[in-house]
Amino acid sequence: MKLGLVIDLDTCVGCHGCATACKQWNTSGTIGPLADKDPYGREPVGSWLNRIRSYEVDDSPNSKTVHMPMSCMHCDDADCVTVCPTGASYKREEDGIVLVDQDKCMGCNLCSWACPYGARELDPDQGVMKKCTLCVDRIYDEKLPEAERQPACVLTCPTKSRVFGDFDDPESEVSKLVRERAGKALMPELGYNPVNTYLPPRNKPVQDQIDTASLKDTVKGWVNKIIAR
Amino acid sequence: MSTVKQQAPLNEVSQAQADIIAKDLPEFEEHAKQDIKYTTCYMCACRCGIKVTVEDNKVRFIQGNPNHPINKGVLCAKGNSGIMKQYSPAKLSAPLLRKPGTERGAGEFEEISWDQALDMLEKRLRRIRETDPKQLAYFTGRDQMQALTGMWASQFGTINWAAHGGFCSVNMAAGGLYTMGHAFWEFGDPDWENTKYFMMWGVAEDHSSNPIKLGLKRLKERGAKFVSVNPVRTGYQAIADEWVAIRPGTDGILALSMAHVLLKHQLVDEEFLVRYTNSPQLVMMKPGEVGDGLFYRGDSEVPQVWDLQKEAFVDSNLPDITPALFGEYTAPDGTKLKTAMSLLIEKYMDEQYSPEVAAKECGVPAEDIERMALEMAHVAFKETITIDVEWTDWAGRKQDKFIGRPVSMHAMRGIAAHSNGFQTCRAIHMLQTLLGTIDCPGGHLAKPPFPKHVPPGIKPAKEMAPMTPLKSPPLGFPTCPEDLAINEDGSPRRIDKAYSWDAPISCHGLMHMVISNAVKGDPYKIDTLMIFMANMAWNSSMNTAQTIDMLTAKEDDGEYKIPFIVCSDAFNSEMVAYSDLVLPDTTYLERFDTISMLDRPISEPHAACDSVRIPVIKPDRDVMSWQEVMVEMAGRLDFPAFTKEGGERKYKDYKDFIVNFEKEPGIGFLAGYRGKDGEKSLRGEPNPRQWEAYEENEGFFEMHFDMNQRYMRHANLDYLKLAKEAAWVGNTNQIVIELYSEKLQTFRLAGQGLYDGPMPTEEHHKERLVKYFDPLPIYYMPLEEQRIDREEYPYHAVNQRPMFMYHSWDSQNAWLRQIMSQNYLFMNRVAAERDGIEDLSWVWVESHNGKIRCQVKLMEGTNEQTVWTWNAIAKRGGAWGLDEDVKENKDGFLMNHLISELLPQKGDNMDRVTNSDPVTGQAAWYDLRVKITPAAPGETGSWPTFDALKAQPNAKQSPKMLSYSSHKNVNLLRSLSDILTRGDK
Amino acid sequence: MHPAFSVLTFTVMSGAGYGLAALLILGHLLGINSLQDSSVLLTSGILALVLITLGLLCSMGHLANPKNAWRAFNRFKTSWLSREGVFAVLFYPFFLIYLIGIWTQGAEINGFFSILGLLAALIAIVTLFCTSMIYASLKTIRQWNSSLTPLNYIVLGLMSGSVVLAAIQASLSGSASSILYQLATALLVLGAIAKVIYLFWIGKPAGSTINTATGFTQASVRLLDQGHSSNGFLNNEFGYTVEANKIVCLRVLMLVVAFLIPFLLLLSGSSTLIVIAALLTVGGLLVERWLFFAEARHVVRLFHGDQRT
Repeated sequence: MKLGLVIDLDTCVGCHGCATACKQWNTSGTIGPLADKDPYGREPVGSWLNRIRSYEVDDSPNSKTVHMPMSCMHCDDADCVTVCPTGASYKREEDGIVLVDQDKCMGCNLCSWACPYGARELDPDQGVMKKCTLCVDRIYDEKLPEAERQPACVLTCPTKSRVFGDFDDPESEVSKLVRERAGKALMPELGYNPVNTYLPPRNKPVQDQIDTASLKDTVKGWVNKIIAR
Repeated sequence: MSTVKQQAPLNEVSQAQADIIAKDLPEFEEHAKQDIKYTTCYMCACRCGIKVTVEDNKVRFIQGNPNHPINKGVLCAKGNSGIMKQYSPAKLSAPLLRKPGTERGAGEFEEISWDQALDMLEKRLRRIRETDPKQLAYFTGRDQMQALTGMWASQFGTINWAAHGGFCSVNMAAGGLYTMGHAFWEFGDPDWENTKYFMMWGVAEDHSSNPIKLGLKRLKERGAKFVSVNPVRTGYQAIADEWVAIRPGTDGILALSMAHVLLKHQLVDEEFLVRYTNSPQLVMMKPGEVGDGLFYRGDSEVPQVWDLQKEAFVDSNLPDITPALFGEYTAPDGTKLKTAMSLLIEKYMDEQYSPEVAAKECGVPAEDIERMALEMAHVAFKETITIDVEWTDWAGRKQDKFIGRPVSMHAMRGIAAHSNGFQTCRAIHMLQTLLGTIDCPGGHLAKPPFPKHVPPGIKPAKEMAPMTPLKSPPLGFPTCPEDLAINEDGSPRRIDKAYSWDAPISCHGLMHMVISNAVKGDPYKIDTLMIFMANMAWNSSMNTAQTIDMLTAKEDDGEYKIPFIVCSDAFNSEMVAYSDLVLPDTTYLERFDTISMLDRPISEPHAACDSVRIPVIKPDRDVMSWQEVMVEMAGRLDFPAFTKEGGERKYKDYKDFIVNFEKEPGIGFLAGYRGKDGEKSLRGEPNPRQWEAYEENEGFFEMHFDMNQRYMRHANLDYLKLAKEAAWVGNTNQIVIELYSEKLQTFRLAGQGLYDGPMPTEEHHKERLVKYFDPLPIYYMPLEEQRIDREEYPYHAVNQRPMFMYHSWDSQNAWLRQIMSQNYLFMNRVAAERDGIEDLSWVWVESHNGKIRCQVKLMEGTNEQTVWTWNAIAKRGGAWGLDEDVKENKDGFLMNHLISELLPQKGDNMDRVTNSDPVTGQAAWYDLRVKITPAAPGETGSWPTFDALKAQPNAKQSPKMLSYSSHKNVNLLRSLSDILTRGDK
Repeated sequence: MHPAFSVLTFTVMSGAGYGLAALLILGHLLGINSLQDSSVLLTSGILALVLITLGLLCSMGHLANPKNAWRAFNRFKTSWLSREGVFAVLFYPFFLIYLIGIWTQGAEINGFFSILGLLAALIAIVTLFCTSMIYASLKTIRQWNSSLTPLNYIVLGLMSGSVVLAAIQASLSGSASSILYQLATALLVLGAIAKVIYLFWIGKPAGSTINTATGFTQASVRLLDQGHSSNGFLNNEFGYTVEANKIVCLRVLMLVVAFLIPFLLLLSGSSTLIVIAALLTVGGLLVERWLFFAEARHVVRLFHGDQRT
């Protein structure tokens, strides 16, 4: 299996729901806790596994606002794993999830340097690297209802802009979406082969205008019709 | 009850693999130790159903309830941050009394017991109630229990009660209720499943949170067109197919100009207008005479129409008549008559509403105005949908289908918070009505208990007497000057001057005026101000800096001008410091609550729904929910509705009250699981196990309507019978949509001196009534703009809350503040470059009311004449458990300081008039105009600044490092052999 | 990239240490006259050990969870950091035995010690190479992702080692060895050339842009909001920005202090001045290393609004 996410930039409104759902689930999850330094102070900085950035594409008046949630792309060629000296970082053979074994990380930051997507953050309290687990502690938990065996971010997304699934299965929803909507990888030139794929904003629908000949200038032009109340 | 089917994320093939993989994994969660509980979110007013996993009285996970009608399993950024609210160090832990001898605002409190606190409150309230009940002003914020607090005020006997609607969106509510008996948001929704063209007006990332997001996704999936009219392109506007960057406050002219285009092309749904609206009704043309502009009734009590077949005047409410939609007629007494539709056409066909003229005012190109109107007409008339369902109309006639004109709209704060917002809302509803898109498939659907008759039949209370409940609720819907709460001399009776000539149809009160009026003693002084869930000493007030001064203002004798302030809050908010008695509230996860059918429940268009909150966490502090305090106080003060005949207390507590109180036989706060055994819906005798029934049903009740009850409910007998049974409407008469508002005309006549009843004496009141109480929707320049030099203050300044803090009165949250703890003043890049203002520079922003310093951020997606910011990011140091030097305090800013609660001062008699919509009293906080100048070198940081507030006695120290977890993590270990042997990947 | 002091001192000190060790062994075994003095060899060797050990201790300071540092040897298969660790540790026994040989047998060591010494020199250079490859292998930082990075690290390590070696030799024997001087001078020139080539090379625009990062390649892209208003780990680690004119000043300072002045001092031939030259070289290389980090622009910056790296 090759598990990952499809993110629809056509519908993401940048609400940050996925980011806090992720924080919430994972702070008590297998990779938790996700510490917050100075939470009530001037520079509150916590470890987050998913962040949303907003961009404006093109100049006024043709510009467009795009919200871009980003978390680990679970790359096929994950240099973060290659560079890890301790073996704490690894890509699971069975499903392609890139994980950090919290007990083995020495906090050297090198994996975060190797990651082009800013997906890894050092925990300010424990000094070990945190990253998206694709909610490995949800998706296989057979005690959860089947429909809820999804990453927390996907479960919560109010515009359903996030879809989770198996990219190896050509019939999966993610595979279909990538085909139908011409899904794109970010920064493909680096050759990491990220699994997570972004669906670009769709073209605007073209709406017909009604074709009318009758132009009226005054109320006199209106003729009563017999309409029974 | 329906459940939303959620698809499993993996296909069969993948699932089989997943099952194998699962076997090798450790048990991450100890499910046996976890409880699943259901309640209703309260991180904002969206009221999503939540499923909370709890272990050891700690929250493991808050997720959307997949079965819930509002959010269908999804949850926003706030809902997902509930844990940080629950574990905030700023939670109040015991009742607080301002230390004798200390100043209000100094934040010096001593903890007292609940017995002491309640005794003190009881004593004070009893004295007021026995002497002069209006001396109690009781105002609440964004609470969702106005049915209870309003009833409490009625029983107490004070008309000085309202919630926050007056500065939120009363224009939206009133505009709809006075036109079609429902409105946007809690009153109605677009038909997300069927609409093909959706126009969103002035929606600031908010109302309503998750349903809109779910709805927009549905539109996008179906390829429907989404047009957004908004000066700022963030959030929802970012994904719109067309962004209309309108100049703030001019939406009315845009809507009316689109109406102009429709009329010009004769593109209106004439059948809809004849059958369902008052547009065929005949209006008397008697300029300068009593009765001018009112409907012609002849000898009947009912407005008359001209029957084309009978060629006679007939009562407009009869079935099977054929009313003339257009034309001039003469009454037997010689009075000239015109159909309302003829007046409407005459008015809007005028050049002043042409796209070319409108474009100059609103900044939307004329060709776009024309095109959008014609696009909507295409969808309405050429892409009509029908649903073949037999239904019964208001007259009992069978109809074989519902006709859907799949154009829908949604509007909110950006429309409402202008002083022309009421008429703009009316204009938008007129546009919807001309297209025939009201409560039809694909159109704008009402949500039960709406629609109601136009307007709902409750009149505001105006009489008060000691120890006497009010005869009607403090808030209602005036239909003529007689309904105003004014004295013989025309002076206001209410402390907020609601229902006075300043704002006759202020159906949500004017919370924004209470402190200012009470301090000035205009119209009178009060003894006690009781505030719940509103941060009046900070972001809930206009003119914050001066409001803080007012809260601490003293008389010559040293007594505070507002002698006693009580507030209930769960957190150490800015308001706490300015209160004399503070009653610590529970958090939303610790309380019982109802989102009641008597209020604005959580209904969906096709289902009547309400919901509850049930505690999922046991409080670790000495706190009591405000509703519990309300019921307790009502019992102590022997309110009639809370007392048995023998004088004994009727309700033991809030839960008991909710179950057993009946407004009328069988109708209570909760509509579900009624009747002795819980089998009855909507109406039924009290069910002693009602709370348990809600708990068993995941905290909500949902009753779907039959297909024949789902549309055209203003004229659908199958529906109206149900609505009457449920006490949503008083009778099953057709709800006639009022394009022409005779009710407004009565006020206008009063202004003209042509009314047989109360009339204003002051010139400015007369003028305002004549100008703004037009029975047909109008556009006028917002009042602040009318009274300032527009050249001097060239920019509009508006604000909105970010989605992740929207409508959160206590969003000071350790996770959410990481997303944003400083707000900027956003400016269009082109405009800023023209003015020489650099990105991230500090500027002074000045209005007629004052100035602030803040930091600028440039962007593309903002109207060039508009600056804006995220509201309520700024906090006072020390409040909410924050350090003194936080960005919220040092760099963030409130735009509120610039906004006056009064109109710009010109030395005339309007100086005392509220800065609000002249019809509804809606706070006009989007009317603001400003000028912007670069700050001098070295001038950085926000201004004005305020001293840090003190932490409360026994407050928890805010941690320097937070590592929240409900249990020790179960790490997924990688084996040493894998580490040593694996190759590249 | 944030120039962490621990990493700067680590790479500069251990670089000089390995360079010194490698040169002294090779010089000794190749029979350079001035290095046939056991006191010079032992002193230099011990100083190399001190520099290397201090450097490695500094590198530990960079770890947020040093208790797991021992695990760093595990991923020799793929990780340059792991390889560096392994070779750094491996260096000690070889070099120590070589030094024991010098101590016990003087400059005239037997074949066993010589071979071990030769291996120690080789490991020293390999270690330098591994260190450089930690940086050079990162595709995310185009200023590092180049063969110029190992070239710089090795040349500068040998260069600083050569100046230190010349200084020790001159101080202990009272007169300067011309061959060591020439070696140091040549390496200074080579180092300066390598560095200047590197500076020219990073000046050329190349690599990913905000357009490829976001996938919007047809129009301009501007950051509106990075999604968090306080700088987090990513900003602190990757967002390090220095003003352009400060960069220019520091580059000049580096070239003057690390290369030019030592070069001139060496030309003077004075044995006192050469000690100063050694100190300046090491100090100058700290600036060089600081710039190596400060001028490196990680692609994550694109997501935070940089137009290009």
